[in-house]
Order: sequence, then structure tokens, then C-alpha cells
Amino acid sequence: MSKINLNKISHSYNPNDANPTYALNPFSMTWEDGKRYAILGPSGCGKTTMLNIVSGLVRPSSGKILFDDKDVTDLKTENRNIAQVFQFPVIYSTMTVYDNLAFPLRCRDFSKEIVDERVNSVAETLNLKSFLNLPARKLTADQKQLISLGRGLVREDVAAVLMDEPLTVIDPDLKFKLRRNLKEINEQYKTTLVYVTHDQNEAMTFADNIVVMSEGEVVQTGTPKELFERPNTTFVGYFIGSPAMNLFETDASSANSVKINDTLIKTSTDLSKLKDKKIKLGIRSEFIKIAKDQKENIISANVEKVEDLGNYKLLTAKIGSLTIKSKISRETEVPLDKVDLHIPEDKCCIYENEKLI
Amino acid sequence: MGKLYTFLKYFFITIWTVFVVAPFLWALTTSFKDFNSVNGGVTYIPWVDFEPNLEGWRVLIKSPAEGGVDIVEPYFNSLFVTCTASLISIILGTLSAYALSRYTFKAGPIKNNDITFFFISQRIMPPIVLSIPFFLFLGAVNLLDSLIGLIVVYIVLLMPIAVWIMVDFFNKVPREIDETALIDGCNPYQAFFKVVLPNSIPGLIVAGMFCIIFGWIDFFFAFILTFTEVQLLPVKIVALNSSITPWWSLSASALVSVAPLIVVAFIVERYLSKGNLSGAIK
Repeated sequence: MSKINLNKISHSYNPNDANPTYALNPFSMTWEDGKRYAILGPSGCGKTTMLNIVSGLVRPSSGKILFDDKDVTDLKTENRNIAQVFQFPVIYSTMTVYDNLAFPLRCRDFSKEIVDERVNSVAETLNLKSFLNLPARKLTADQKQLISLGRGLVREDVAAVLMDEPLTVIDPDLKFKLRRNLKEINEQYKTTLVYVTHDQNEAMTFADNIVVMSEGEVVQTGTPKELFERPNTTFVGYFIGSPAMNLFETDASSANSVKINDTLIKTSTDLSKLKDKKIKLGIRSEFIKIAKDQKENIISANVEKVEDLGNYKLLTAKIGSLTIKSKISRETEVPLDKVDLHIPEDKCCIYENEKLI
Repeated sequence: MGKLYTFLKYFFITIWTVFVVAPFLWALTTSFKDFNSVNGGVTYIPWVDFEPNLEGWRVLIKSPAEGGVDIVEPYFNSLFVTCTASLISIILGTLSAYALSRYTFKAGPIKNNDITFFFISQRIMPPIVLSIPFFLFLGAVNLLDSLIGLIVVYIVLLMPIAVWIMVDFFNKVPREIDETALIDGCNPYQAFFKVVLPNSIPGLIVAGMFCIIFGWIDFFFAFILTFTEVQLLPVKIVALNSSITPWWSLSASALVSVAPLIVVAFIVERYLSKGNLSGAIK
């Protein structure tokens, strides 16, 4: 187990061309030992490239990778002591489940007793004990993925377990259980887990820290709460949360307020430098409530529709031509036509050029 | 629909089976006939239509001094040349196919696919084009009329088959298998031998089958590149023919020469039917 430091890493798959295109733009990041990280982003944003750089399958075009301050940039994959689980289960189909799990240990010449003990303990955690002597190819897809996972967990000293959308092939029911399993494993063995996904719920429920990526760029790194409440860019606001963050184009009308459809909305952000510049106001639908006795920051809107989504109601309303969405509790009565909505000033995020001020 | 389909299926399979097996049965009965039973009209059933004898088979193992043709030595020559050439072709072909499938080569405009096509193109041109270069080459290195010379030529002929089949096979083996092996701590050689190769046994068997078949049945190069010292089975069998066609010994030698291929067919069939062709992923 080690701290992983990515120092000014960037990668291009065509570095020798006149105009190389970058799969990963330069970024730096540190993964602390024993934590759970999620890398979140739409398909093709460079998530897998990032993992492959850490595991050594891809050598970055520039930058350094440090494991516990030791430079491993040029170290081969087999010497890095890292585990990686791919999207589709990879098993050694000619071997038994036991041999599959024992393979990483045997490659590193562990004694028979240690191999036996580790394999049994991992098989116990992953509920594979009764299959140990079966040929691995006879198992179902999700059991095979457990084997892939098990091969990553069987080494106690592994620097990190990297998972590339590992639960894609697994039933939703089992997915939930496995995610909890992974969390337990992380707490028990203090293994650093890095989990690539494009599913924000998966990322939110799994990780201590989330890295949001878009088009080869690391957009924001933070705890789920930070990402939710203070998205760094409008992309994060849009990508994280369901429904996406409400965004309104506006301009600063004073040092601490903006105008939305002629209604003055106060914000706690200092806007004195942004006078008359194009900015965007972002507010999570979770923070918008139907006004009761608030005096300020109230905006009136026309109710368009109210959807009952089980544990909450989703109110969609129009402010002039703008659409605003609000998540309200099931018990709240919603007027049929006009509604006054309260926008808390401390929850407002102001963006200039799509970046948080 | 179901019943009709089953009926038609078995109907055509039966016709096809008769079509395929009849010549063998014909050869089998003929091999036990003598001159009179072959030339005296159509006969089918031994002991009823004709009196069977073993002369056709005996001739094959008798030495020429005793009036036989002795196909034993050519038979073992053929086995040796075919097996050795196939084995070497499979080994070299598998290694090059793996490299062509996993690594990127570039020499000017020539890339991986061009190299693969270069191998296959050896089989596309008519063999006769190669006969003179082979003859001159073997003559230059003094390997004409020798087993080693034949093995060299057969490797040239069989390796493209092995490369072709194995490139296709390795392309279907997901790269993640190799990568997983690296991550699990193998070096690239261990990854190949411990993980990729065991997963490729079905491909190896198919490639081996084709090599053995094409090596075993080759007449053309065996005929051109050997004279008196070394003879291979196909050449020897053709040499059996004389002014009076010895149908009985021709039939017997034909059956004997097919035997190894039947064995190969059984082995391959067992592997293919076991479902071992399924991949390692999903």
C-alpha cells in the first residue's frame, strides 16, 4: 500500500504528429493511502487512460508517477504491484478458481501456506469458497468478475486496486452488495481503491473522494458533498446530481446580487469585479423550496408540472422563458398555477466562463 | 416445421455420408481382390462375389527384391517430414502471429497487416512458381533429395497457414488477458506462456490440423525435390501405377495413407466438440 502521486501527467496517443491530440491534459493529483477514490466522467474522457498510466500499461507522454515518493514512471507493469480490474471479467479460463486467485501470489513466489491462506480468505470475502475447485470458465459472468476482483485483493501489499467500471456486467441487486463489500474490504485491509465509473450514483455512494473528468481534463476533485454543493464548473453542476443544477444566464447588477427575469437575487459571492460581465447563476434543485415566510430572494414562477418520484416531488416551473426545477418533499402542497420559490443566497454558485468564482 | 426440419436434416446427412463413405468401402473391398475379381465385372461382397486375398496389402510391405513395393520407409519419411515441419511451423507461426497481433510494426509504408498478408501471399501464388527457386535453393545448399531439404520447404509452405490462423485467433483473444497477467506480476514472456498460450490451445489445434493435412497430402514438391535417396508416400503411391494398374495395392495404399488424417480428425473433433473454443472473456 502506498500513496500515489501523479505529477503533471499528460498523455497523447499520437505524440509525434504535428498537432498531437491529448487524451489527458496535464494534471497533478495525489491519492492518499487507504482511501476510496472514484473517477467520474462521460465515456471517452480519459478515465481509462488515467488508470492505464497508473498501472503502467501506458507510459505517459510527460510527467511523473510516484508511489510513496519513489518514481515508477518507467517501471514495468509487472514490477509495480498494482491490481486492475477491467470492465469485462478477465479470467484464466484454463485454470480453476483457486489457481486464478493464487496466480498473482505464485507469480511473486509466495510460499504455499501464504497462498493457501490468502486465497481462502479472499474467497470467503467474495463468497467464492464453494467454487474454488471448479474450472473458472464454468462460472457465471458476475462470479467471473468476482474472480477478477479477487485476484486484485489477494495481494495484501498491493499499491492500489484500480477498477475500470467493474460492475457493468453485474445485476443491480448484486451490484449494491458488492459495492458494500468493496467498502468493507477497504476498511478492513486499508487497500487504496480507485473506481472508474460514468454513473454518478455509484461514485457518490462508493468514494471518499471523487475526481470528475471531462474531455481529457480533470475538472474537479473533492468529496461528494463538495462536488454537490460547490461544483467547480457548470459541467460538474450539470453532470452531478439528478436533476442537473439549475443554471441561469445573467449579469451582475450589484456587488452581491444578480437579476433573473427582473427579480433581484442576492448571493453571498462578491460580484464587485464582475460588473456587467456575462455570468451564470447555479443553484441545486434540492435547495430551492416553496417560500413560506422568507422575505428576500423570492422568485415567482408558473408551475408547469409536478412529478411524484416516490421519495420526493420534482417541481418544474417557468420564470418567463427560463425553466427552474425544485426537489420538494412529498408532503408539500404545490399550488396549481403560481408559486413563489425561495433561493437561499449561500447556496448560489456564480460562474464566469463556466468556472466557479 | 420441427419434424420436417429434422427429417430433411437427417435425409441430407445420410445422402452425404453415403457419398463420402462409398469410395472408401469400394477401396476397402478392392484392396482384397485379385486381378480376376477386379477385371471380371462388378463384385461387391467378399466370399460371395469374390474370394478375398491379402496380396494387395502384402505387396506394400514386401521389399522390391521379392516383387513388392515397400511403402514402409516412404510412409515413415512422410510422417517424419510432416510432423517436424508442422511442429516447427506452428512454433514459429504462433510466435510471429502473437507479435503481429499485439505489437505495432512499421517499416516505411509496411505495417502489421501487410506483413500478415505477405505470409498469406506465399500460399496465394501457384506452387509451380516456387518450384524452380526451391530447386535451385536446395541445390545450392546441397539439400536436394534429403529429408532436411523437404522439411525446410514444407516449413515455408506451412508457416503461412499457421500465421494466418493464429493471427486471427490472437486478435480474438482480448488484450486484457495479457494486461491482467502483467498486472498480476508476469513478465511478457510468462504472460504469453502461462496465460495466453494455454488459452490458445483450440487455435493451435486447428492450425496444427491444417498444417498436418497440407503437409501430408503434398505431392508436387515431394515429387520435384526428391529422386532416389528419399521418397515420400504420395510419390511412392503414384509410382505404383504401371502398365497393368494394380488396383488392389493402390486401394490398400490409399487407405493406409488416409489413416493418419482420420486420427487427426478424431482428435480435432474431440477438442472442438468439448466447447473449448469459447473465449476467456465474458
